[in-house]
Amino acid sequence: MTDAAKHDQTQSLVQELRRGVIILAVLSQLHEEQYGYSLMKGLEEQGMQIDQGTLYPLLRRLEDQNLLESDWRVDTSRPRRYYILSELGKVVLEEMLTEWSRIKTTVDKLLANEQEKNYEIINDLP
Amino acid sequence: MKLLTIYLEEIRHHLPLKNRDDIIKEIRSLLMDSIEERNPKPGTEPDEATIKAVMADFGAPRKVAQQYGTRAFLIGPQMYPVYLNVLKIVLVIVAALNILGVIIAAVSGSSAESGIFVTLLETVGGLISSLFTAFGIVTLSFSLIERTTPEEWRVEIEKDWSPDDLEKVEDKERVKIHELAIEITMGIVLIVLINVYLDRIGIYYLADGGWASAPILNDNILRYIPWITAYTVFDIGLNLYLIRKGFWDLGSSIAKILINVFKIAVLAAIIIGPAIITISPTAWDALNFDLGSTAQQLTRTINITLDVLLGLAIFGLVVDSIKRIIRTLYSKTHIDFTFKAD
Repeated sequence: MTDAAKHDQTQSLVQELRRGVIILAVLSQLHEEQYGYSLMKGLEEQGMQIDQGTLYPLLRRLEDQNLLESDWRVDTSRPRRYYILSELGKVVLEEMLTEWSRIKTTVDKLLANEQEKNYEIINDLP
Repeated sequence: MKLLTIYLEEIRHHLPLKNRDDIIKEIRSLLMDSIEERNPKPGTEPDEATIKAVMADFGAPRKVAQQYGTRAFLIGPQMYPVYLNVLKIVLVIVAALNILGVIIAAVSGSSAESGIFVTLLETVGGLISSLFTAFGIVTLSFSLIERTTPEEWRVEIEKDWSPDDLEKVEDKERVKIHELAIEITMGIVLIVLINVYLDRIGIYYLADGGWASAPILNDNILRYIPWITAYTVFDIGLNLYLIRKGFWDLGSSIAKILINVFKIAVLAAIIIGPAIITISPTAWDALNFDLGSTAQQLTRTINITLDVLLGLAIFGLVVDSIKRIIRTLYSKTHIDFTFKAD
């Protein structure tokens, strides 16, 4: 495998890992209404970088799934589409957050155990 | 700004029809947000470099549009393995029939005049064109199945699954998707053949250095065509339903039996009615088989053979219908189904 191919494979695995988390991140920021660009900036400022090409279509898909509601606003300098969590979205977000903290705790524990084991193996070497 | 308009138009072009304008309106608004923020001199008209940078960031129009689209398959991943299998079978059969035709022509010696090279070219040409036709028909049939079979039913089968369901599944008579798919394909082939290419069903022979053909079906067949087409359409409809359902239920069993009765009636009418096959003397002589019989004698023999075959087909349909009745009566689920009402 060439270095470029390895890099591509790693990238696609990382993306897969991020995919679910991105939805969680987006929903968590939409208790108050936001338009696409402000949402992206907000996430970026907090360290969560999401491609515009990923974020904007995602918003629409989440709306199609009735997790978000949206509305065109014309009172600003230009018309903007604002998104906010729907009632269903709030319920789903709650469940996702519970699951997320479970996953986080479990995976942290797993990784910590593994690190400890590796540590022991290295120490046992003559 | 002109560049931006072209860019949006380009995205629009690749978007699915649904919500197109709304999506473009939103992308425009979002791009303007980006451009505004990146503009080195806020409050003034943005320069071209800024607009270009924002667009480059946003991505190629086709890629952007793709993100907004839902994926549609000609043949989806679930049907794809079945499709490949059926395609292989059909292509092998078509190729075999073609080669058989060439061998018959070679044996009968009628190809000697036109030279081996021309014959070879015509054979390869004919083979390729019939393989493509077969490929087209199979693909069309499967894309039809794909479009008429919504994904929901597959999900529904998986939903709320419990190991206890296995016992129920055992009772149900599962449909064999391979068989149904082949039946649908053959049905479509039959409909096209008898409605569009009826005159092509015939004897092919070499005459005057080229292929000639004489139809073997005479005008008596014409009155049956609407009926044959009708029951084939019903059959295809039922098969599509069965693929969607996954197993035989009471309704589809009854429908199958009714279609069989319909088929039996049509076939019986063909047997009782006037002969439908006429062998053209010219074609028969050209084939040069030395069987010691004239085209007329042969016509009679073939028609009798056909009647016997149709009789066998009727017998097969009767057996199939009885099998269906027995399976319906003795399947536990169907009895469950009948008592469910109270």
